[in-house]
Amino acid sequence: MVALARKTLVYEWRRFLPAILAVGFAGLLQLLQAALVLGIFSSASVYITGSSADLWVGYPGTQSVSLGRPIDPDVEMRLRMDPAVAHVEPFYWVDADWRGAHDTGGESVYVTGIDTRADGLMFSRTLPPALRARLAEPDAVIVDRADVDKLGVKVGDTAVINGRRVRVVGESSGLRALGGVNVVTSLDTARQLDNDPTDLGRPTYLVARLRDPAQADAVAARLRGDKGFGPYDVWTARTFARRSVLYWMLDTGAGAGVVFLAGIVFLVGAVITSQTLMAAVAGSVREYATLNALGVGVGNLRWVVLEQAFWVGAIGLLGATLLGVLLLVAARSQDVPVVLNIPITLLCVALAMALAAVSGLVAMRSLRRADPASLLR
Amino acid sequence: MSRPAPVTASRPSGHALRAEGIAKAFVSGKVRTQVLDDLSLTIDAGELTLISGPSGCGKSTLLAILSGLQKVDAGRVIALGSELGELDSRALERFRLLHTGFVFQGFNLFPALSGLEQVELPLHYLGLSGRQARERAAQSLDEVGMTPRMHLRPSELSGGEKQRVAIARALAKRPELLFADEPTSALDAANGQTIIDILHRIARTHGTTVLCVSHDPRLIRHADRVLSMEDGRILSDQRPAPPAATPEGTAP
Repeated sequence: MVALARKTLVYEWRRFLPAILAVGFAGLLQLLQAALVLGIFSSASVYITGSSADLWVGYPGTQSVSLGRPIDPDVEMRLRMDPAVAHVEPFYWVDADWRGAHDTGGESVYVTGIDTRADGLMFSRTLPPALRARLAEPDAVIVDRADVDKLGVKVGDTAVINGRRVRVVGESSGLRALGGVNVVTSLDTARQLDNDPTDLGRPTYLVARLRDPAQADAVAARLRGDKGFGPYDVWTARTFARRSVLYWMLDTGAGAGVVFLAGIVFLVGAVITSQTLMAAVAGSVREYATLNALGVGVGNLRWVVLEQAFWVGAIGLLGATLLGVLLLVAARSQDVPVVLNIPITLLCVALAMALAAVSGLVAMRSLRRADPASLLR
Repeated sequence: MSRPAPVTASRPSGHALRAEGIAKAFVSGKVRTQVLDDLSLTIDAGELTLISGPSGCGKSTLLAILSGLQKVDAGRVIALGSELGELDSRALERFRLLHTGFVFQGFNLFPALSGLEQVELPLHYLGLSGRQARERAAQSLDEVGMTPRMHLRPSELSGGEKQRVAIARALAKRPELLFADEPTSALDAANGQTIIDILHRIARTHGTTVLCVSHDPRLIRHADRVLSMEDGRILSDQRPAPPAATPEGTAP
């Protein structure tokens, strides 16, 4: 078979270039937008994804990690009684006010109190053992590299949290918070910094590691039912992370914004692509008409146009992928939060190909002008 | 230049095309122009028939109607025993695919394809395998003397060469009917002569019914039959004496 669509695309590449660029940039925009939004909002769940706990236990109905309320510390006993549970530790969350050494005014911070032992679950993926060991020192805190300017401190400086003097003993990376600043301390320091009398030293969460993480769903369901220890609920890490991210996305309206912007990008891309394809078809309309005169059906000619649209989409996406990888690497190196997963990437690819297909369908209409009788005038 | 054996051993007798009382008008706004009015004619099989006349006389419209590219307002057209008016657009496409070839004034070649690919392309839609299509395309290009240049794209060919590729494209389908619309008017004398010779030879060797519309006087000597048209009617129907130089020399 003579590959008319591909050969024309290669030979007249200049004619098709705008369409290829339109599909490519539309794909790239969708992808980067998704990566950026996922990146920004996944920091809402950094406490969960940066830790190796399989189960999270917190106040019933908690919609995001940052919105926890204290629970009864005795729940820990209930967890330990379950044979599937290998390890349990408390996690403290304290909303606090920060005053830096230099004059940066007040700053809202999230103080997170973690078990500083080397095998501790909290932030096991984000804090290297040497760094977490430094937290054992009383009133020691770690701040994120991305926040040091905002807090007006550097390692070794002292600052004041909720009226109590603390010392910055290290800088973490990848612990940027959403809507605030993360400050990591030991469990003891966190309890000291918590000046809310209703908290009574109770933990905000209990996190647990299971002997078999694959059983997380079943164990969570089993532990959830017990009402004997006051109000608490159990979620798998995956569920709670997802819930936290979704809460922020929907709460801020960012989710709707993403969909809206994706729609605009799709529309603009489709208009440019279809116009370019239409022009390409119009440029060869006499040749198409001749083929039709020779008996090649209009249906077959439409396939040629659709095939062209497919190749335009495929080439555009290839370019978008290469450029996208470069940009994501660059963003990562600059601490810009970007996250991509396979379902979202596939969705972006599908959107770009749908854009090409829609444009191809629109461009088919130009074939109506390929009337062979018009060649006889 | 090798020549394949004719598809029909003896030239078929009888009518390849018949038009009975056909009429066609075009409406543009409030102006209605009657292009053809109660026109009847028959075209004999295996002949090169030339329709000539001044521009606007309706000869191109007649060609479009006889070839099934346009519908008539009244009357009927019978081509190879089928009444074209009774076929829907799909069936007409099928009819054209199996039985007709076209050569246009503009060569209408795809810029991206080589001569061989231009000729091959329609053959795939006939259901030929890749190898068969390539062989047949090469054969057709050989017949019009384009073998040495069949791998070149249109931009590398002269006007005459492009028209020879276009003729090969029409010929490769082995049509019973070949329609040509002003095939020489975009060409110089020498190239025009080559095209005329090729069309004439196709009628002779393949028994193809060639219907050619042209106001090119050079064509008249080569035609088996010349119909002169004016104002939508046929004024004269002549059979000029065959030129002595006809290759096969078997004029009727």
